[in-house]
Amino acid sequence: MKFQIEDVTVYFPYDNIYPEQYSYMVELKRALDAKGHCLLEMPTGTGKTIALLSLITSYALSKPQSPLKLLYCTRTVHEMEKTLAELKKLHDYQVQHLGPAARILAVGLSSRKNLCVNPRVVSAENRDSVDAGCRKLTASWVRALAEKNPNVPTCEFFEEYERAGSGAVLPPGVYTLQDLRAFGKLKGWCPYFLARHMVQFANVVVYSYQYLLDPKVAGIISKEMQRESVVVFDEAHNIDNVCIEALSVSVRRQTLEGATRNLSKMEQEIQRFKATDESRLRAEYNRLVEGLAQRGDLQVGDTWLANPALPDDILKEAVPGNIRRADFFVRVLRRLVQYLKGRLETDSVEKEGPVTFVASINNHAGIDQKTLKFCYDRLHSLLLTLEITDTDEFLPIQTICDFATLVGTYARGFSIIIEPFDDRMPDVRDPVLQLSCHDASLAIKPVFDRFQTVVITSGTLSPIDLYPRLLNFNPVVSRSFTMSLTRDCICPMVLTRGSDQLPVSTKFDMRSDLGVVRNYGRLLLEMVSVVPDGIVCFFVSYSYMDEIVNSWNETGILKEIMQHKLVFIETQDVVETTLALDNYRKACDCGRGAVFFSVARGKVAEGIDFDRHYGRLVIMFGVPFQYTLSKILLARLEYLRDTFQIKEGDFLTFDALRQAAQCVGRVIRSKADYGMMIFADKRYSRHDKRSKLPGWILSHLRDAHLNLSTDMAVYIAREFLRRMAQPYDKAGGGGKKTLLSQEDLQKMVEGHMNEMLY
Amino acid sequence: MNNGDGKRLNGEAEEEDEDDLDGEGREAWERTYTDERSWESLQEDESGLLCPVDDKILHHAQYRRRLRSLSSTTTASRIQKGLIRYLYIVIDLSKAAAEMDFKPSRMAVVAKHVEAFVREFFDQNPLSQISLVTIKDGVAHCLTDLGGSPESHVKALMGKLESSGDSSLQNALDLVHGYLTQIPSYGHREVLILYSALSTCDPGDIMHTIQKCKNAKIRCSVIGLSAEIFICKHICQETGGLYSIALDESHFKELILEHAPPPPAIAEFAIASLIKMGFPQRAAENVISICVCHKEAKGGGYTCPRCKARVCELPAECRICGLTLVSSPHLARSYHHLFPIMPFEDVAPTQHKLPKTCFGCQQSLLSSGSRTTLSVTCPKCRRCFCFDCDIYIHESLHNCPGCESLRHSKSVNTAEA
Repeated sequence: MKFQIEDVTVYFPYDNIYPEQYSYMVELKRALDAKGHCLLEMPTGTGKTIALLSLITSYALSKPQSPLKLLYCTRTVHEMEKTLAELKKLHDYQVQHLGPAARILAVGLSSRKNLCVNPRVVSAENRDSVDAGCRKLTASWVRALAEKNPNVPTCEFFEEYERAGSGAVLPPGVYTLQDLRAFGKLKGWCPYFLARHMVQFANVVVYSYQYLLDPKVAGIISKEMQRESVVVFDEAHNIDNVCIEALSVSVRRQTLEGATRNLSKMEQEIQRFKATDESRLRAEYNRLVEGLAQRGDLQVGDTWLANPALPDDILKEAVPGNIRRADFFVRVLRRLVQYLKGRLETDSVEKEGPVTFVASINNHAGIDQKTLKFCYDRLHSLLLTLEITDTDEFLPIQTICDFATLVGTYARGFSIIIEPFDDRMPDVRDPVLQLSCHDASLAIKPVFDRFQTVVITSGTLSPIDLYPRLLNFNPVVSRSFTMSLTRDCICPMVLTRGSDQLPVSTKFDMRSDLGVVRNYGRLLLEMVSVVPDGIVCFFVSYSYMDEIVNSWNETGILKEIMQHKLVFIETQDVVETTLALDNYRKACDCGRGAVFFSVARGKVAEGIDFDRHYGRLVIMFGVPFQYTLSKILLARLEYLRDTFQIKEGDFLTFDALRQAAQCVGRVIRSKADYGMMIFADKRYSRHDKRSKLPGWILSHLRDAHLNLSTDMAVYIAREFLRRMAQPYDKAGGGGKKTLLSQEDLQKMVEGHMNEMLY
Repeated sequence: MNNGDGKRLNGEAEEEDEDDLDGEGREAWERTYTDERSWESLQEDESGLLCPVDDKILHHAQYRRRLRSLSSTTTASRIQKGLIRYLYIVIDLSKAAAEMDFKPSRMAVVAKHVEAFVREFFDQNPLSQISLVTIKDGVAHCLTDLGGSPESHVKALMGKLESSGDSSLQNALDLVHGYLTQIPSYGHREVLILYSALSTCDPGDIMHTIQKCKNAKIRCSVIGLSAEIFICKHICQETGGLYSIALDESHFKELILEHAPPPPAIAEFAIASLIKMGFPQRAAENVISICVCHKEAKGGGYTCPRCKARVCELPAECRICGLTLVSSPHLARSYHHLFPIMPFEDVAPTQHKLPKTCFGCQQSLLSSGSRTTLSVTCPKCRRCFCFDCDIYIHESLHNCPGCESLRHSKSVNTAEA
């Protein structure tokens, strides 16, 4: 369908549109007009992605004089493929209506692991070894060698791509990763480098968060993006954590040992070069004297390290004299590693700010702040000079330099925490030194500064006023949309009491109380006997899950549950969990019924959908607060309080409730679906907790469902499931329209105009 | 549910607990009322009398019935119907059937309505046969063989009403499949499963069994008593059956009776074929002879025209020569399925030229009180009817009074002229 939003003709590839999609587009259009940032919350299953894509591309089409680029960031490769598939449909529709003028180029960009077509390289097991395998074949010196000696292996796809030179371009169209690989195979060009090259010219780029937020990667990939771009962060409810992780480094004993090995290897290489090819080291030294501006004239295949600090923080200075010579630099690194080793030997938890830490390095190891700052660039240059290609082996030393540079660059917003052992297992000595970033706005600031519009959107962004404070920006539009439903297909409930009317909670003093454990068990037992197919349970942590499942097993509750449904458990092992999930789905499919025990903040809670019969009910046992004794969290809370005036309690509740909303949101993936959500903790009935749930859940949470006991919940569940199983009219009968056709929209817009006139 | 007693005992403790909470706990009997707030929907008409509250539910049911009749007639105005049906009714008697959310228990309610259904079924499909199967302890068991006598089925079912163990859809389907593949090809193979449980414990791959049923052209329908189960939905989708969930007892009755009228014929079986049938004579009351069905000496009954054996009831298959025995009224009663009356069309309430009363019942069609009565019109004779008459005409009468009187007056007119 085709309709008008103010001066933009929007092309929408479906015949009908949801009313909330329409208002979403209107808000988005305002943000684009204002060239400002925006924050939009809309529940999952209402077609956020297609609304975003179709408005932004239509906006770009309607204003051909100012080309607009769309950078669409997703969290996973799977989401990336889904987005591109939607875009493909949209593009076909636009071309069909507008002719060839509507042709755009859209590419997805991912790591080599997902794009490589060279069978020898892509067979490696993890991402780092694929990267290293690629570099072994494509580094400039390898290729120079290969010219002289045909026995040196190179990558034929890369060679072919290089030979094609500037002729290697993608014709307009939408390319998923699959399409890119197919195209690369057909032409014999390397899809990875082709995609990286085409990113600069494409109208739409779909890639992962890291390409914009992690300064190490962003420096290489997103450097040349124009200002007139729209950046979209989809599923961005955890964006602050992504930002923080991008700038945090943790160093363990193994890292230091690996770094020591790396240093010895480098020393050997330096000796070898000294004996054979002294001039190379000399040339590097001269280049360093002139400054680090060398990055511009590097070969495309050679760029693989970039500064972890942010672009504007890199000073345009020359590398300090004491690390210009290769062997001096290695010696400095050795001292640094030695120092860190010494720090790890502590018996008590230590917490320091970057300034004191740098001062202490200066005292003990004699390395000053400026030297630290340049560690990463210097390492980069040295590894290139030494022609090292197996980069995956040099990860430890990279981590150390990463750490050094960050510590040397930032004086605020970070802290260094050394813990000799994990709090939960005080007997096992596992020292770890963490440089943790507290300020999410640091990593995302350049994105806000550089691009004209940044859209942050997700199904759960409540409370929506906290995000601008956390990320330190001013949105021109921030709105939360609710879902228009033809029937009440979600049924959230707050369960505060067990069947014996005693309160249930995972509060620290209550969680191991036998009565609470038993009440939770009875709740699940009652529920498995009235809910068909799949049930998903979320616990607050792995240890709590272990504890409660154990005691259910002892009291025989687990056995009774198994009579109704099979039980599957998420573990920290990815392979095991995947297997459990597969079997869970199978059990739901064949009618046996199953329960999945999972952990809030775990892999399953973040990325796996339990739609349709795979999740008819989700039970959230307890409030998933973060581990409040964690030193990192405490440090962050302190920072938030001092800098952004966000109270500790507010932040913790906000974070716990967004996790809970994320967990329960897994069951509803479309409007035709239905599901129940039980928040089993008495704390949910308190207003300060409950009000932080997203609007689309709150609007269905009726007063009568706020303070239930198990037997009442069972009764409600029975009624709800019966009601939902009845056939219904999908378009929404009567006055409340939930699917708008083109005519409906026109009428609505005209009505609106009339209202404005009178 | 089962905590009801415990809850009442703990009533005092509960009140203390709730002081710090919102104080919103209510007794179980209050709950439904607070949820629905039914008193708010009470309305008075102009003379101060209370209007019925539940017309929404009523309208929904009517709407649904209309929808069904519309959908069955949109494809072609005259569909071939399967009049000779072989229906297996599978009754789940697993542990879940003892649940008390239907009063007195699920299985008692099921049995009660199966009885009504069996009678209604034979009334509408005199040429068809039914068999009862029960699932108990994960095993399917054939309670009665295919037969045309409602009494024997009902009696067998009532004697076996106890529940235990799990339930297995696969076992039931396998059993039914084994029986149904033996019946002649002109007959319609159907299974109606009345399912109380929420899961199925199967010995093997149920998908394989479903595929087998699909290949054997067995139409499987399921009526659930608790909630929608994916596998049941899948079975119905694959085999072209209906899947529905009962809200309460009256809804269950409605749903099960939906299966009484014959379904449209499956295309591949819709070839015309000749079936040999006998029309036995009723024997005189005073001629005593031994019947083949009960092996008792009695008067009355019917005599098979081919082998002269005596049977008690029609329709039946002769035990001796295997001839299908029917009476002509049976055939005639099936006849209306073949020539259904057209579904009536909705009339917009704003049209003014409408007659004020329903042609059927002479009740006023104008809006009474607050609610507007919808009216419908026959596409042939253009008479207007109310909703109730619409349902009555389509489901019981099978003749349009408007068209009939029209035909009648025409013939009178021609006779006069």
